[in-house]
Amino acid sequence: MPHPQSHPTLDTFVELNGPDTGAWGNLRPYIVSLLKAWWGDAATEENEFCFQHLPRINGDHSHYATMLKMLDGGVKGMLCVGQNPTVGSANNKLMRLALANLDWLVIRDFQPTESGLFWKVSPEHETGEVRSEDIDTEVFFLPAAAHTEKDGNFTNTQRLLQWHHKACEPPGDCRSELHWIYHLGKAIREKLCRSTDPNDRPILDLTWDYPLVGPDAEPDAEHVLQEISGRKADGSFLSSYDELEQDGSTSCGSWIHCGIYKDGINQSARKKPHREQNWIAREWGWAWPKDTRIIYNRSSADPEGRPWSERKRYIWWDPEEGKWTGLGDAPDFPPTKEPAYEPPPDAETMEAIAGDKPFILHPDGRGWIYAPTGLVDGPLPAHYEPQESPFENRLYAQQQNPTRQVFARPENPYHPFDGKSGADVFPFVLTTYRLTEHHTAGGMSRTVPYLAELQPEFFCEVSPELAAERGLEHRGWATIVTARGAVEARVLVTERIKPLLIGSHPPRTMHLVGAPYHWGDVGIVTGDSANELLPLALDNNVHISEYKACTCDIRPGRRPRGPARPALVEDYRRRGGVRT
Amino acid sequence: MKLETHAWPGSYGERAKPRIGFFTDTSVCIGCKACEVACKEWNQIPMSMQGFTGKSYDNTVALGADTWRHVAFIEQKLPARVTDGASLVDAVARGQAIDGGIQTYQEGDGFRWLMASDVCKHCTEAACLEVCPTGALFRTEFGTVVVQQDVCNGCGYCVSACPFGVIDRREDDGRVWKCTLCYDRLKDDMEPACADACPTNSIQFGELETLRERAEHRLAHLRRAGNGNAQLYLADDDDGVGGGGAFFLLLDEPEVYGLPPDPVDSRRALGSIWAAAGAAAVALGAGLAAAVFGGRK
Repeated sequence: MPHPQSHPTLDTFVELNGPDTGAWGNLRPYIVSLLKAWWGDAATEENEFCFQHLPRINGDHSHYATMLKMLDGGVKGMLCVGQNPTVGSANNKLMRLALANLDWLVIRDFQPTESGLFWKVSPEHETGEVRSEDIDTEVFFLPAAAHTEKDGNFTNTQRLLQWHHKACEPPGDCRSELHWIYHLGKAIREKLCRSTDPNDRPILDLTWDYPLVGPDAEPDAEHVLQEISGRKADGSFLSSYDELEQDGSTSCGSWIHCGIYKDGINQSARKKPHREQNWIAREWGWAWPKDTRIIYNRSSADPEGRPWSERKRYIWWDPEEGKWTGLGDAPDFPPTKEPAYEPPPDAETMEAIAGDKPFILHPDGRGWIYAPTGLVDGPLPAHYEPQESPFENRLYAQQQNPTRQVFARPENPYHPFDGKSGADVFPFVLTTYRLTEHHTAGGMSRTVPYLAELQPEFFCEVSPELAAERGLEHRGWATIVTARGAVEARVLVTERIKPLLIGSHPPRTMHLVGAPYHWGDVGIVTGDSANELLPLALDNNVHISEYKACTCDIRPGRRPRGPARPALVEDYRRRGGVRT
Repeated sequence: MKLETHAWPGSYGERAKPRIGFFTDTSVCIGCKACEVACKEWNQIPMSMQGFTGKSYDNTVALGADTWRHVAFIEQKLPARVTDGASLVDAVARGQAIDGGIQTYQEGDGFRWLMASDVCKHCTEAACLEVCPTGALFRTEFGTVVVQQDVCNGCGYCVSACPFGVIDRREDDGRVWKCTLCYDRLKDDMEPACADACPTNSIQFGELETLRERAEHRLAHLRRAGNGNAQLYLADDDDGVGGGGAFFLLLDEPEVYGLPPDPVDSRRALGSIWAAAGAAAVALGAGLAAAVFGGRK
């Protein structure tokens, strides 16, 4: 998304975002084709292809930044789609306090989740800190269709897209996201249809005309896929992003997905069995970009284009045919560019990539360990200790990542770290993780009997040594405390959790507390949420919190009920020298 | 290999299908429990909530009326051994590393996490079936053992007859339930739900003869790789149940997994039980006679 100050025009947007060389050198054809896909005939050369219709980003709108702004009263409403932040995000209490500051909240999920019921069921209700009648947020629950009840694509981390066909109609009022967004858009456009306000043009000019199918007037998902894949001016389908033009003669909703509807066929719906093709399985699904199953696969050949290893050969240069060939994958390289090709000094886009440089999305075609651009930290990988660590950084004088985002405030207090006062109050390392049986915040698994029974209760895992030190009983209860909260968990004493021996002369023993984070207050199985314990401490590239490490204390027995629970946390804060 | 059972294939004549079964190769089980979930989904089995058990990640505990697949999790600490597939140099290095206080998640420190999916064994000599007074339990054309719930009268003889504790009565229902090896799916040439769902092919389905051969190859491979305790369980016609239609490759002794080491078809003892009962009756009669007639002296 463009920023308002730095990207006043299409020209400056392209100039500031796209390098001149490599595959990103074609940013202009990509963005122009995207604008044509969204605004169709309204997008012309004269009006910068409706570039000015794009909303502008005027700040950090990532998840935690938005929730913090919500906490401070700067966000009116939230569309919460398949997300359960009061269990899945760090510092659950902060999330609930933020939701309580909304005017309205829409929850789209299979079942009402903790986030949808925060106004009614929460730890603060139990402790008496919050009363439902004091929360003004209006909450709407919209039941969602499951993947078996709609057409669409799964994309996995290998970049493979696999189409799934609807097996049955969604029950009752359940609808797909596509149905919801499309009909919501139609309703808004109807309300605006007589408007002459130029601010309404971006919505009124949109191409918003998918055919509807089935008893619930479901937009045809394949038509959406066709728009994503892209067309030429004559309406025929594009086959790869190399065909995208900057003059507005092509339209394409996503350049990396260009060609997924090549030849008018839903390529992602191909399901030829592995028995009928070789192991690369090019006729099963479709991989972005250009159906490339292994990205940067020119790397499987040496600079001269010969396989590094005959046994592992994959893509290589055929000098007689004058092209790249291989076992069947799409060469992720210009098909006839010779290995010896040297670009002229002023070359741009793919012309500037030499014949022995496989990493075509980088402006120099090289793989990067030294990353001079693209990250706010770097340019080399480094080790920093977490925000809360019982250890000094043994590699650098710099203890923590200096670019990390921290938010020290009463709702998000941090523990002192090693060497500071009170570190002995939170002497152990807490790490959170997932189990096979549950799906993230549990909305899709704690509500399903056959999954709920397999991992029915919140538990923590500790070593026999820690259990002995703290008097924790196997199958009994433990209370885990941080400055953010106190939760209770059943105890699993296991040798899988090994105390860490750190340093030498003599080595220092550090105990770990492991806590799967899937539970909450609603569902077939319920329990305290491990994420109550975590602070917000974010990396500054993608603003993800530090879920894997903070410090904590653990003690035998169940946590206190009622007002005694926050009192316990307050006592720990005081003794631990926690400043907020 | 002797695969014939009392009723199969003889009583089916031309309608008999090849005997099919499960080979559960526990060496590649990852403990995902997809088999448990797929089984319950397909067979519409009720939830059977046990709560938190503390038995590692196993909250299912055992097979029963509402649990037809059960994944056991065994946390095991063994002394680091030279025979664990490592060279002598490796073993010494490991030993030094452990002595030096370096802890790792590898098997080098002797810790391992065994996972195994258990199921009804569909025995060649199936005591449950033989003791059933109503004929509710029967041998199918595939050589498997299935309960017909509309015939079962809930007597429970089969429950005490099963040497594995597999078949079980549903409390609110009174009838017995167990794995059918997805008889309904077999009739439509479909793989049983658990085998279909297994992502690592730990649960293999097919003709028993083929599975036995495959298991022998796999066992030889694991033994060569240094798994000295690897063994097949219920793949022997001469064991106490005449071999299982479902058999297993285990990485340790059966007891480690909670399986009986030497299961025996409980009917094998019938002869001696009747003989003992007869002898007792004769002795009792003799005693009575002696008491009655002897007292008249």
